[in-house]
Amino acid sequence: MHKRSSIFANISGFFAIIFMGFPVYWMVTTSFKNRQDVLSTEPTIFPRSFTIENYQNAFSREGFYSSLRNSLIVVLITVAISLFLATFASVAIARTKFTGKRSFISTLLIVQMLPLSALIIPLFLLLTRLQLTNTIGGLALTYVAFILPFTIWTLRGFLANIPTDIEEAALVDGCTRVQAYRHVLLPLMAPGLVATAIFAFIQAWNEFLLAYIIMQSQENLTLPVWLASFTTRTGTDWGPLMAASTVTAIPVVIFFSLIQKRIATGVTAGAVKG
Amino acid sequence: MSSATKLRLRPKKNLWPYLLITPALAVILLILGFPVFRLITLSFQQFGLAEIVSGIPTWVGFENFQALLKDPEFWIVLRRTFIFTFAMVAASIVIGAWLAHLMLRMNTILRWLLNTTLILVWAIPALVGISIWKWMFSFEFSIITSTINRLGFDFAQRNWFTNTFSGFSIIGGVVVWGAIPFITISIYAALTQVPKELLEAAAIDGANSRQIFRSVILPILLPIYVILISLSIIWDFQVFTQIWVLLDNRPASEYYTMAIYAFEKSFGLSEYGMGAAIALLMIFSLLGVTWFYIKKMVQIGDNNA
Repeated sequence: MHKRSSIFANISGFFAIIFMGFPVYWMVTTSFKNRQDVLSTEPTIFPRSFTIENYQNAFSREGFYSSLRNSLIVVLITVAISLFLATFASVAIARTKFTGKRSFISTLLIVQMLPLSALIIPLFLLLTRLQLTNTIGGLALTYVAFILPFTIWTLRGFLANIPTDIEEAALVDGCTRVQAYRHVLLPLMAPGLVATAIFAFIQAWNEFLLAYIIMQSQENLTLPVWLASFTTRTGTDWGPLMAASTVTAIPVVIFFSLIQKRIATGVTAGAVKG
Repeated sequence: MSSATKLRLRPKKNLWPYLLITPALAVILLILGFPVFRLITLSFQQFGLAEIVSGIPTWVGFENFQALLKDPEFWIVLRRTFIFTFAMVAASIVIGAWLAHLMLRMNTILRWLLNTTLILVWAIPALVGISIWKWMFSFEFSIITSTINRLGFDFAQRNWFTNTFSGFSIIGGVVVWGAIPFITISIYAALTQVPKELLEAAAIDGANSRQIFRSVILPILLPIYVILISLSIIWDFQVFTQIWVLLDNRPASEYYTMAIYAFEKSFGLSEYGMGAAIALLMIFSLLGVTWFYIKKMVQIGDNNA
């Protein structure tokens, strides 16, 4: 599909790189500027100073280590549980026929478009009744529920691309259904599982609204909520905020570069090859 | 494999699938199903601080909905939400698709650079993106304002959010900026997957480039456009965090969209019943707009296996 390169496309591409990339560039350069250059009404595109004091400031700020720890714990629990449950469910919808399958799939899809801000009111009342507000477990449980439908759907997409012949051959050879799934299908799913796990990781790591409502006390914040706490009534600490933002983004950027090819095809694969 | 062997392999009474989906379904029903049910009951109740304390709701029938439909503010907010959603979806799809098609005609280095930039932007957590844009358009130290001033305009120090048009443009900017990478990379991936043989065969058969686009490329791209547009509508319709954080956790009523409106009614004014009614209407409008997409997706999932 690639054609000879055209000047128009190259010039547009150049500007697209500048416009899309500038905010990231501005975050990183701001994070290394000294206070005087950050708080300048005449900011310059190219930095004039270099310091790591914004990072020191951000790390020593109240709540950094606890919110980093909370984010990691919540995310790991979420990924482990949702992947475990999703593996079973995705095999069911990709490999078997059953009454009620259509309703189950509809549920998965409709649930994904329920606006979070709409569900927060009753969800908060429910978690209060279960005494799960302000607990890591409560937040993780909520994340699992919100991430599951997407995880199941994505895994289904990967499964749809694995031919059924292989596991059926295993069945003919005398494997039980469980053995066929465990020893034949599961290894083939591995790349899809890794990609889905990383995607679930990113979603849980980035989530703001639920954490903002459910985790109220200072020692229970997650990183995104901690980031939002840089703005107070007296103003915003821009330099440290940009440093903290850079730190929050780094793990996601690393993970993301590992799986982006899979996700780009994974999301749309179901439509083409379904 | 013949259908006879297939039949033999599948037990008649199959409990399997149910065992497999039960744990996932249980979590979804508890954490999402129950709140949906509660949202519906709540929307028929008057539920405020007094009711939270006493625990006894007052049933009011359709009063919340009647009050809403009579309230001019509701219609303003609904209209604003639709316009804002439409603008963001249109901008992100048009720019995203345009970039994807341009990428086919870029030289290798630029294409690689653009691809890397897009992945970087895609990976940026929403709240980090919001913080950056907030910083770029801050009141005193904005790089955008000072660049515009350097070009000879006089913007002085400027609060971009006093004017709702520029305010919504910035909010939409954050959303579209964050959405373009996914759209461009998906369309580009689809474009590069168009089989060469198909294009060559069409060319040999004497099809011109427009015919090739219409009968070879478009049928492959169409389902992807449907998915991308539907997902964009779903995401953009419920934009909350961008508005909330960019406006310092207390957006003025000119910035209310359905999501913010429902949230403010519930948590700001403690009219939970009213908030639930708004949220419910919001869900219905979204389902109405994306009905076609859901139907299509259910078909895909159902036919397979």
